[in-house]
Amino acid sequence: MSRQTKKKLYTLFRFTALGIWFCIVAFPVYWIVATSFKPDHEWFAWPPVYWSATPTMDNYKSVWTSYTKTLATQEAESMQKPWIALQNSLIISLVATTITVFFGTLLAYGVSRYRILSEVRMFNLLMFRMIPPIVVAVPISIYYSNIGLIDTVTGLAIIYIITTLPYAVWMTKSFIDEVPIEIEQAAAILGASKWRTIGEVIFPLVRSGVVATFLFILILTWSEYLMALILTKTDVVTLPIQLAKYEGATEGRVYGRQAALAVGITIPLVVIGCLIRKHLVRGFSFGMVKKR
Amino acid sequence: MATTFEIRKKQRSGIAIFKWSLLTPFFLLLLFLLPVFLLQIYFSFHSWSVYLSTWWEADFVGFDTFAEVLSDERFHWSILRSLIFASASTAGCFVVGFGLALLMYRPFKGHGVYYVFFILPMLTVPVVIAYTFEMLLYQKGPVNGILSALLGTDINVIWLAHPTMAVITVILLEIWNWTPFTFIIMLAGLSALPEELNEAARILGASRWRIFREIHLPLLRPVIFLAVILRFLEAIGEFPKTWALLQGGPGSATETIPVYLFMTTWDYFQISKGAAMSYLVMIVMILIVLSAIRILMHEKKNLDEMYQAKETGE
Repeated sequence: MSRQTKKKLYTLFRFTALGIWFCIVAFPVYWIVATSFKPDHEWFAWPPVYWSATPTMDNYKSVWTSYTKTLATQEAESMQKPWIALQNSLIISLVATTITVFFGTLLAYGVSRYRILSEVRMFNLLMFRMIPPIVVAVPISIYYSNIGLIDTVTGLAIIYIITTLPYAVWMTKSFIDEVPIEIEQAAAILGASKWRTIGEVIFPLVRSGVVATFLFILILTWSEYLMALILTKTDVVTLPIQLAKYEGATEGRVYGRQAALAVGITIPLVVIGCLIRKHLVRGFSFGMVKKR
Repeated sequence: MATTFEIRKKQRSGIAIFKWSLLTPFFLLLLFLLPVFLLQIYFSFHSWSVYLSTWWEADFVGFDTFAEVLSDERFHWSILRSLIFASASTAGCFVVGFGLALLMYRPFKGHGVYYVFFILPMLTVPVVIAYTFEMLLYQKGPVNGILSALLGTDINVIWLAHPTMAVITVILLEIWNWTPFTFIIMLAGLSALPEELNEAARILGASRWRIFREIHLPLLRPVIFLAVILRFLEAIGEFPKTWALLQGGPGSATETIPVYLFMTTWDYFQISKGAAMSYLVMIVMILIVLSAIRILMHEKKNLDEMYQAKETGE
């Protein structure tokens, strides 16, 4: 085989392989979007309806305008409050993420510049985060019900701060490490206080990194399921929990409605993820692997 | 001179205060979490379930609960299932992710579109994935429909209701969800490889395969370890998809450790058993994590050196 045919064959192979995986990834995504536009009788149809001949917005309408007469009898009352879930999800994830990133950045600065915790110790703390959260779920829920934090926005936010702090510290640290220390020394010689150095010298330089960290942590808190399931009962419902409630008593899962809500939950994450796609690898690998 | 000495002393104490104030939130959080660990110890050694009265009046039973957990066959099975689930899905994620990264690390037309699409699963809420696949995988569903159309015969895979198939389904789901993770890590690792070595080896007449095996793989080792270890640890704790899709069923086919723990505590209300079980799992996980730390610390050093070499080289 000549070099050229070899090259052509490789290109062919490459695009077939990429194309296959592309379809595997895209099909479920397509399916949930398509389902969200299907009228009731097409959810379980055989042969499957790949694109509805009569697309409808009813699913979206009935999910977000809380009450529809047709389904009122079958569905539980609790599933009629997606707006409350949306509100809770927004408050919890925004507040928790802001606090996490704020303290995370300060800690990261301390670790990077003052070695307040040695690298090894930091790393150990990080790795202990990798222990599945479910192992502390039992005592946390009892602890929370005793101090009155169960089923509250505050309680859930605190847990999210604790669980995402390691990610925030490591991710911002990798950005701060890239800032040359000479800049700070210059600021110190010019008489800037330490806090001022952080606020007016370091922060502007790592701003885009901090924003990326913020958005990354937002993805984590927005989609968290286990803790939300355990630490909430009735008052506080987040969107991932709300999603599970679309079960009619007589008709099984209400797929169309579920799909409509699922699409709504996922779109912001996809947008955020694409915005910070260059930094995702840093977040998920705790700043150990960088993309250039 | 006494004055400079004093100034220096003042400066040093100023730095100390500054350091401690940076650390305060961290200690506050630890303080907040302390009772959790105390409670966990308490419940492991006392027998309590929600049917009894207040929890602080529970009977002390010593190691009885631990013994009960250790002799519980369902627990043994859940450990085995978790290990199978985590290893199989990690292997799958790694192979697919690394393969994709190898195909993608040299830029080509449309590179960006593929990249964005390939990271989509990672950005999707896990529960959404579970429900999406429930819509796709029921027996008269679209996946069987498409497979039948593609292969020309009637395919009737029972994805969710058959015990063995259910385990495979859950593993495939995890692979679908987290391949992007290994993909982006391996892609970043591959694009950080020094180009000069490549050139040099090619000039010396090394084949592609040899360059890959003898130059790329050793350099990529830290990144590979990182991707595999992090993925494995995450997979052990996987809960949302398995739970939302199958609740441990059919039978107890997909009852991994997290699922069984959840059921013991929140379905059967055996709080003490749940606590003791989580204690055991925690100890084992700490051991696993400690060995992971040893490996990763070592590899991280190599990785940092590689980045440094690249920066100074450019």
